Amino acid sequence: MKKIAVASIALIGLTVSLLAQEPARRGWWPKLGGEFTPTASDEIAKGPVPRMPDGKPDLHGPWTGGGSNGDIESDGGLKPGELPLLPWARTLRDSRKDDNEPYLYCTPMSVPRYNPYPWNFIQSVTSRGPGTIYIQHENGDAGRIRHVFMDGRAHPDDLIPSWWGHSIGRWEKDTLVIDTVGYNDKFWMDSRGTPHTDRMHTIERWTRINYGTMTNDFTLDDPGAFSRPVQLKFTAKAAPPGSELMEFICTENNQYGLAAGVENIYKDKGYGLEVTPGEQK
Amino acid sequence: MNAKLTALISGLGVIAVCAPVLAHHSFAVEYDPKKPVEGSGVIQKVEWTNPHMRVYVDVTEPNGTVTTWNLELGAVNSVLRRGWKPADLKAGAKISFKGYGGRKILTRAAADALTLADGRSFTGASGAPDVPK
Repeated sequence: MKKIAVASIALIGLTVSLLAQEPARRGWWPKLGGEFTPTASDEIAKGPVPRMPDGKPDLHGPWTGGGSNGDIESDGGLKPGELPLLPWARTLRDSRKDDNEPYLYCTPMSVPRYNPYPWNFIQSVTSRGPGTIYIQHENGDAGRIRHVFMDGRAHPDDLIPSWWGHSIGRWEKDTLVIDTVGYNDKFWMDSRGTPHTDRMHTIERWTRINYGTMTNDFTLDDPGAFSRPVQLKFTAKAAPPGSELMEFICTENNQYGLAAGVENIYKDKGYGLEVTPGEQK
Repeated sequence: MNAKLTALISGLGVIAVCAPVLAHHSFAVEYDPKKPVEGSGVIQKVEWTNPHMRVYVDVTEPNGTVTTWNLELGAVNSVLRRGWKPADLKAGAKISFKGYGGRKILTRAAADALTLADGRSFTGASGAPDVPK
């Protein structure tokens, strides 16, 4: 009994010390709060790249990952400080609190964000052959369906800036290249608050290297917020064969902020418009 | 004493295996790791909704008053992918819970473990309901 009591006290001490460390840790999660999307087993993942009838890679997953949620700099393979943000953009990023990211109020995440929920490529086939490629994100209203036009058209020159911009695609051997312009500046590129402007131009190069793995060589070019184009690299993992996306309507029951009394700083503003880049000194 | 020791050990386990899995939002913004909570009661209602599933539990206090706890889980899609089914959580069923209280409103808590009257315990870590041996 005495031994148990001593052990209990020791455990209490350990528990308290562990709990005391918690506030300094990022990414703390209760188990039932963490998200879960299974990925294909190693045995299945190392299998061959599936092919479409025309011989192009079949990019159907579904997939998780392939972008960043928390920090494009570190997730994209850069060292701290290497992301070439202009001074105003760096100042803005460092002043943003992740409590306030617009996505928490169910606005779209946009490119290159991918959260724990799955997404998918859908390669359409028409009577004239391969058609538009669609990118479907599970988190519905915060994701919508991207259209990647594969018919050789150019970007329109009169685009109204939008959350997902305008995407055109082409194949370079087995790599799907997606070129997108026309973004608005309302979304954060990660929960760290990395900003951008409506001058942003992105190029995604998606290469499926086996059944379970697909790389995204990502070029980010935004002279409004970055001093030069930057190259990032992300990897997506396939869900087990037979997996399907599910409905996810973010505005259905979003109680974000109520438990902690987080103030919605966008209540009287447009999302993400707390600072206008043109006004930066 | 043994029960207490077991509880402490399982409490340590909970802390040790917490993986930094990304979710709709950072839990640390809303919930306080320094405010572990637990209770037993009756399921008032279950919301199989996104972006977070919620289980409301009526807990009767020693003085007879009833407190309704609003327990937040992950996205309903994640919960279903772990193998849970709507039949696992029914209004009117007895349930006990552990979690972490809201930074401002304690009874808005993040669920960490749910245990049903039949002994089945949901912790979310195994990918399926954990059945005691």
